[in-house]
Amino acid sequence: MFGSSLSSHIGRRAFLKGALVSSAGIVTNWGGISHTRLAAEEAMKSGKKCILLWMNGGASQIDTFDMKPGRPTAGPFRPIPSKVTGIQLCEYLPKMGQLMDKLAVIRSMKTQSPDHPDGIYHMHTCYKISERTPHPEIGAVIAKYLGNTSSDLPSFVRMGSTGNGGAGYLGPQYEPFSLGRDGRLPSFSGSNLSEEAEKKRADLLRFIQNEFAETHKAEPFESHRLAKERAYRLMKAKQVFDISKDWPLAKERYGDTEFGKGCFMARKLIEAGVPFVEVGQENYDSHSDNFVVHKANMNVLDSAWSALLIDLEERGLLKDTLVVWMGEVGRTPNINNRAGRDHYIRAWTTVLAGGGIKGGQVYGSTDADGKEVKENPVSEGDLFSTIYKTLGINARAKHHVGTRPVWLTPEGSKPIAELL
Amino acid sequence: MKISILSSLFSLLILVDVGIYAAEPLHKSINQQISAAWKQNNLTPAEKSSDEEFLRRVTLDLLGTIPTAEEVIAFLKDNDPQKREKLIDKYLADPRFSQSQTLVWDQVLFGRNPLNPEATRKRDGFRAWLTAQFNNKIGLDQIAKKILLAEEEGSELFLVQYRSNPEEATVGVTRIFMGTQLQCARCHDHPFDKWTQKDFYGMAGFFVRLVVLDGGGTGPDKKYKIGEKSTGEVLFTGAAKDQKPGQKGEPIKPKFLGAEPLNEPTPPMGFKEEPVKEGTKTLPKPFFSRKEKFADWLAQPKNPYFAKAMVNRIWGQFMGRGIVHPVDDLGDHHKPELGALLDQMTTQFIGNKFDVRWLIREIVLSDAYQLSSKGPSREASLRFYERARVRPLSAEEIMLAIRQATGYDVDNKTPSRLPNAGEEYFLRYFGEPLNGLGEFQGSLGEHLFWNNSENIKGLIRRKKGNLADQVLTSKEPPEAKVEKLFLAVLSRRPSEKETSKFVEFLSAAGSKPEGAVEDAIWVLLNSPEFRFNH
Repeated sequence: MFGSSLSSHIGRRAFLKGALVSSAGIVTNWGGISHTRLAAEEAMKSGKKCILLWMNGGASQIDTFDMKPGRPTAGPFRPIPSKVTGIQLCEYLPKMGQLMDKLAVIRSMKTQSPDHPDGIYHMHTCYKISERTPHPEIGAVIAKYLGNTSSDLPSFVRMGSTGNGGAGYLGPQYEPFSLGRDGRLPSFSGSNLSEEAEKKRADLLRFIQNEFAETHKAEPFESHRLAKERAYRLMKAKQVFDISKDWPLAKERYGDTEFGKGCFMARKLIEAGVPFVEVGQENYDSHSDNFVVHKANMNVLDSAWSALLIDLEERGLLKDTLVVWMGEVGRTPNINNRAGRDHYIRAWTTVLAGGGIKGGQVYGSTDADGKEVKENPVSEGDLFSTIYKTLGINARAKHHVGTRPVWLTPEGSKPIAELL
Repeated sequence: MKISILSSLFSLLILVDVGIYAAEPLHKSINQQISAAWKQNNLTPAEKSSDEEFLRRVTLDLLGTIPTAEEVIAFLKDNDPQKREKLIDKYLADPRFSQSQTLVWDQVLFGRNPLNPEATRKRDGFRAWLTAQFNNKIGLDQIAKKILLAEEEGSELFLVQYRSNPEEATVGVTRIFMGTQLQCARCHDHPFDKWTQKDFYGMAGFFVRLVVLDGGGTGPDKKYKIGEKSTGEVLFTGAAKDQKPGQKGEPIKPKFLGAEPLNEPTPPMGFKEEPVKEGTKTLPKPFFSRKEKFADWLAQPKNPYFAKAMVNRIWGQFMGRGIVHPVDDLGDHHKPELGALLDQMTTQFIGNKFDVRWLIREIVLSDAYQLSSKGPSREASLRFYERARVRPLSAEEIMLAIRQATGYDVDNKTPSRLPNAGEEYFLRYFGEPLNGLGEFQGSLGEHLFWNNSENIKGLIRRKKGNLADQVLTSKEPPEAKVEKLFLAVLSRRPSEKETSKFVEFLSAAGSKPEGAVEDAIWVLLNSPEFRFNH
């Protein structure tokens, strides 16, 4: 009954709007209908989407995509060749190796926030937490610029352990819709009324909204009403979040794990028109037993991430869907006395794929032991500029916090031309 | 010499101003100047607010909640032409006035996410202290001074939030109490205001010696004290972008913003101060207190920032936007259209000893405040105030207003805090409804909570004597029941059309009216008319 394609969700919306007006028995020009349609058209035009795979705690670059065989910092994992000649990666990411032609590996991240809350904030907003300006997370930015206001579904969905900034100055409209780790809907998503009672109550509410709107035209009233309609639409469309029927089949490919399920949910939501989904994978913060931790994590990651990319590719979605792999920090080249690696921000790795990114390449490099960036350092702002550019968002778009002008990325940030 | 001539001229001007305007109440001047602005800009103001509209608006603005159904009826029946003025005076004397102003200022001083959250999350002690100030009719100059001295028990928390952070203290104090945007000058000279980085760090010098001390108690009852050291300077290292690691800065002496440097005695020869240890409970008074000098400077009538910033902020609180907007950006780069009105209000506010009640009374007596919120304009608040502003209720107001509307506290047995983490949810979903430009945005979370939470359902649900119960047990005709619902929730009578629609809705429920009555209450609570003060 609930088609999951973008167009069908928009179609239902338009239909509902018509129903709304007639059920109230009044023809009211909200002044919002044409505006909404315009925004929808614009979002359709860009059509780009983004999935962020968030490695919570910070994955080790040396044990994944920037291996240092034979060096004291190497650790026990061995590199294997990938599909792209000359690019190696960890033996525990074999499936990702076969997709290397789609990946742009940035080995020269040089960032500024060394710890978890500050790094999580910085790598979600590209600004320092200490500035105290409420910057929006990447998900909120994408919801604002690529979100389809006519969609039944929220534009910023996340699950697992993810960002800590929220919508910031963009405002409550762009706050994340947070699913549980297992895909469970957030609190208060389920009605405690029968469908009929719910409808009666909603119709009476629409009547009284209309009465009031006859004489009261200020924007806040309308914003309140539209948000209520979004809530109703979501309630009706929430079957999209139910993947129980498809999961038994998909789990073969994605791996029967929480993160695998999250990646599958992300694919379903992207297909249904959600422009941004973030999926967190836990437990990278390996101050001790780094290798045990990473081996286990990579097992989960390799299946889920590769299945996601293949799935998107097979459905023709990968060219318009950017998949970002990153965490808040990298991990030290030096191995500590608990066989752990600590936080490291001087030289670490992130990976981009799809959405117009040129795959099959490595950008930047580190020195022999992976301690410093050797060439082409990439800052938080540079990475975000690259992401926004490939998604068709102006990375220097200007906003305001009260009187203060703020930009989506800090002054001096540059997109990485080689990846675009 | 020059300075003394100037300052005596200045006081002369004040005298002259007061002399001219003292004869007529301030709200008359407000009316004249605003209607002149309407004329000049070819604006047609909205009609005067109806009694219902006015009553709800002023009750929310002055008491932080909505009137009861009985209060609405009584006010509508009252034929006294002075009834609005009398109501305002009654409200200004109501203890709830102090409580609601406390909540407003609590947000001004802390916001929803204050620094040092461990200490500032629970602010009951501070709020009680502030309520007492308003109850005791302490002037706003003295309240500000006490907050910045942080010596009275309960008053400390404002400075506690800036623990070890003189830069943030500078940003906060200058913005809140001086209406000045100095934060840009923290990292670079201000791009369009006149402030430089040295101005910023000159102000930071007043806060650099403050320390947060252990005030006793544990857990939620933990208290803090503010101490002040005798030594310590702000080090200035130049523009943030030019800074190098390990760079030492030059010490900057405290300087009043846009005014003279602090005249400070040198410490006694060989003076050395012990470092403050963790858990210290008291510090000796410093041999020279910068904190006192700053508080004295700020709260004096001649201070060029304070009174104006306070007037502009309070005006904005009631009128939707400051005469200078946003309210905390009174720099020289703004030349507001109604600047003369702001100056006049400021002068008279000083003349009235910074009496908040006096100023608020004059504002809400003005014609502009008492206009209707009906009209074609889409904006929440208008530059020339030709229609009443629309503002979302604060989370605190929503909680009180729902309790009032539904008769939740009818048995006087309910706890002051809502059950099932109600307060946390309300703060989460209604605490920050604005974007960075101060515009309201409806959120999905807010509506899912309204629609589906037990918290809301529980507030509405029938219990002996509450609104649902009164309507269900009433022997009156259905039309009267509907009127009761509207009066209780929306503080007005329903239109004929609304009456017949609601009568139809209630009668369709047949033999099981309980759910329908609760749903009707839910609908009224969910309407934009309830969500906003308008």
